[in-house]
Amino acid sequence: MGVLRETLSRVRHLSRRQTFDSELDEEIRFHVECRAGELEQSGMARHDALAQAKREFGSAVRAREQTRSEWQFPWLEDLVADLRYAARALRRNPAFASASITCLALGIGANTTIFSLSAEFLFSEPSCRDPQSLVRVWIGGSSAAPMREYRFIRDAGIFEGVAGENEESEVNWQRQDGSERLYSVRMTDDYFSVVGLTVAAGRPIEPGENDRVVLTHRFWQRSMGGDPNIIGRSMILDGRPYVVAGVLPADHRTVTGFGFSPDLYVPVSSEEAEVTLYARLPRGMTRQIARSRLVAACEELDRTHPTGNQRWAEGVGVFAISGIDRISGDEMFMPIAAFFAMLMIVVGLVLLIACANVASMLLARASGRGQELAVRLSIGASRGRIIRQLLTETLLLALCGTSAGLVLNLVLTSFISHIRLPLPIPLQLVIRPDWRLLAYSIGVVTVCTFVTGLMPAIKGTREAISATLKQEERQAGRSRWTVRNALVVAQLAVSVVLLSTGLIFTRNLVQASTMSPGFDIQRTIWAYMRLVPEAYTTPQKTRTVVDRALDELRRIPGIEAASIVHRVPLNGHLTTGGQVRADNGLPPVHLNFNNNYVGPDYFKVMEIPILQGREFLASDRPGALPVAILNENMAVRIFGQANPVGHTLQIGDRPPITIAGVASNSKYFTLGEENALAYYEPYTQLAPPDADLNFLVRAVGNPDVLLPEINRILTRIDSTAAIETRPMHDAMSLALLPSRVGAAILGSAGLLGLALAAIGLYGVLAYAVSRRIREIGLRVALGASPGRVLRLVLSQSLIVVSTGMGIGLAIALYAVQPLAAFLSPAVRPTDAINFALVGAVLGLVALGATAAPALRALSVAPSVALRHE
Amino acid sequence: MGKERSTPELLPGTLYMLVLRTLSRGPLHGYAIAKRVREASGQSLVIEDGSLYPALNRMLIKGWLKAEWGISENNRKARFYRLTPEGRKQLDKEAAEFDRLVRSIQLVMRTA
Repeated sequence: MGVLRETLSRVRHLSRRQTFDSELDEEIRFHVECRAGELEQSGMARHDALAQAKREFGSAVRAREQTRSEWQFPWLEDLVADLRYAARALRRNPAFASASITCLALGIGANTTIFSLSAEFLFSEPSCRDPQSLVRVWIGGSSAAPMREYRFIRDAGIFEGVAGENEESEVNWQRQDGSERLYSVRMTDDYFSVVGLTVAAGRPIEPGENDRVVLTHRFWQRSMGGDPNIIGRSMILDGRPYVVAGVLPADHRTVTGFGFSPDLYVPVSSEEAEVTLYARLPRGMTRQIARSRLVAACEELDRTHPTGNQRWAEGVGVFAISGIDRISGDEMFMPIAAFFAMLMIVVGLVLLIACANVASMLLARASGRGQELAVRLSIGASRGRIIRQLLTETLLLALCGTSAGLVLNLVLTSFISHIRLPLPIPLQLVIRPDWRLLAYSIGVVTVCTFVTGLMPAIKGTREAISATLKQEERQAGRSRWTVRNALVVAQLAVSVVLLSTGLIFTRNLVQASTMSPGFDIQRTIWAYMRLVPEAYTTPQKTRTVVDRALDELRRIPGIEAASIVHRVPLNGHLTTGGQVRADNGLPPVHLNFNNNYVGPDYFKVMEIPILQGREFLASDRPGALPVAILNENMAVRIFGQANPVGHTLQIGDRPPITIAGVASNSKYFTLGEENALAYYEPYTQLAPPDADLNFLVRAVGNPDVLLPEINRILTRIDSTAAIETRPMHDAMSLALLPSRVGAAILGSAGLLGLALAAIGLYGVLAYAVSRRIREIGLRVALGASPGRVLRLVLSQSLIVVSTGMGIGLAIALYAVQPLAAFLSPAVRPTDAINFALVGAVLGLVALGATAAPALRALSVAPSVALRHE
Repeated sequence: MGKERSTPELLPGTLYMLVLRTLSRGPLHGYAIAKRVREASGQSLVIEDGSLYPALNRMLIKGWLKAEWGISENNRKARFYRLTPEGRKQLDKEAAEFDRLVRSIQLVMRTA
């Protein structure tokens, strides 16, 4: 371990540097005097002896320097000296320094923000004890198991502990002025101990405590105002009293991941509940072993507790809950991972543009510094040493840029952490700076330093060698032009690609926002009412509430019609598939279609035209002739051009049903869908009735003024029910979300790329023109008209700009094609208009960037220009 | 460099070995090391004074030597260098390697 010992003795030396120098001096003096003493004894005069001894020793300074440098970390001291020199150089040129740092900061800010977002979304570690040994367990091919099966697995002795939770559950929180729907996680009472969740205040829920709840930090802040005395308070949830046991920390991340952020954890209260199983692997047990033991246990379960046709031993899975295994273990995540990969590529390109900007500024600077470099080379600095010094300058720039970029990152991520996405389940990411961001930033600094600095440093020193101490060139050398122009060409090409993607997503957003979903959203109101399931044990109880609510809603002045629906379009869907056999003699077809249950007047409220037949009536109740309504697509698919009204259909092994009408096509699940089939049945056919009631109301005028009255009426019917009422146009956010996210991120990345490329283009052209001021002055003095000079400058930039745009458009044509998966079909990624627009925008920017320096050059008087150095 | 010398230059890489060998008989200060090398070689090997102290410090860093202040034979304060066990091991190693090298060279010179 020689290296270690050497390093240690060098480090120890750092503290003795002062005494070391004086001791070394003394030692050398002693050496010289000893020699002088000897010479004196051989008969030399004292004075001559000393001089002779000194001569023999040689340069004491050099010996001292060499001895001292033995103890130093040479590269470190060089680096410190280089950094100091670089800092001085940057301070001398603040315009250059601030421009490059800003470019890098914008690029790095965008890049690291998307990195933080992706890392948090895809690879967040749940806030539980030892996530590596916690696994998610599937039995019978299902993500959820009934309570009886849960207990069987728990007691089978395979795992150190098994807990269950249902994250898609809701509870009504009853307060004085009505009830509020909360997003809860229903968990088995051993959940906190098996998963190992820690609380910030109070204590976790312990086995046997079925009346305790634990709040999340966000919910405690939002709805309790961060009340410090919350522990021990009671809450009425779904009509039952609970006591607050604890509050989770602010950075709590659920085992579900993906930013899922419930309001509170509540113990399972019903035997009917189904829970997702989480198990703690015993030390040393792999997921494979656990799975095979679990299969054996499930076979035992199937033998001893048979459940109809359900075979629990089939579809057994043991999955990781964190890291790369979680992503690769589930096909569902692949498109999400692909989306984030695309974002990373986009911001990677933005960063490349920023680096290219700084590189071209450095190139300009290196040629301006030719003289300085030449002097240093000629007095003995090696070329490698100067390249290292120039790279250190870039390193300093990259460090400053990254620091500023990280500040931007913190601002943006804290903003993102506060966005609550309009999804049916609450998602909120907790993005905090962590070791991953640190490691990534170090990587970014390194890459930026080399990408930005290496080429200018090598080129700069080469030129300095050739141009040694000659007069600085007046005519711009050809080779330098090629490199800098190539940089601009590359920047333009990349920004064409970025702008194209950004524009496509922006057009997609415009398209989606203005697209008619096929039903009215201006005067429709969606009133959501969640009944406490335990209080509605019979279907009749629910039906009574529905009928009473519809009755009272219809009587509100200003309301034209009211109805009820099982799934609100574009806010949740139910797809069914099956063999559809019609009575028209044609062979049965297999169809996948949206299956909804709607009340009377639904089509009237939604303003979906009935094309043939009739809509559902109050008389379509259980016991009457079963009827259904098809949308146009489905009617045509089954009956062709024939009128289907009065015909019967049989879907799978359901009883035959008569077609009562055909409704116009509309959007059901996404705005992007096309030719979707839809099949409606009367709401009363829904069995068993849902505890989630979705009323739809049609206002005569402005829907907003009716919201309080609707809330009041529904609350009066059942004060334990949670009510959420909003105009239908507000409820479109979910449908618009993918387009909005895509447009926001890619649109801003495209604009950022354009801005950076424009700065780069301007910088290069302005520099080019400034190098030619003398030439321009000469031309003007010899009688060239301003128009001619302008044409000369413009033609130069035209070549660069058109090459860059040509290459960019060619790449973009291929690069945007995979985007179609994320777009609505009306927006075709390869639409010529997109590219024409991008070309026009970039062309305008290029014209501005060229014309400004050219005009400035023209405004310089020829007499001044000719003397311009 | 540039200085006229009648003595041969030290073989590269042998400086450490010579210093270590000189110190194997007991601690010495820098000047005494140089002097002993010169005398023991019959004035034919001279350590350039300028290169002695960097070499001594290099060996201090490597842990082959220890240095402490003491009183010289002419009653002056001087820095004495002493061999450490690692230094002794290094000396044996370098001496053995050097022997082998010299023997091989001699073999070639006689037979080839």
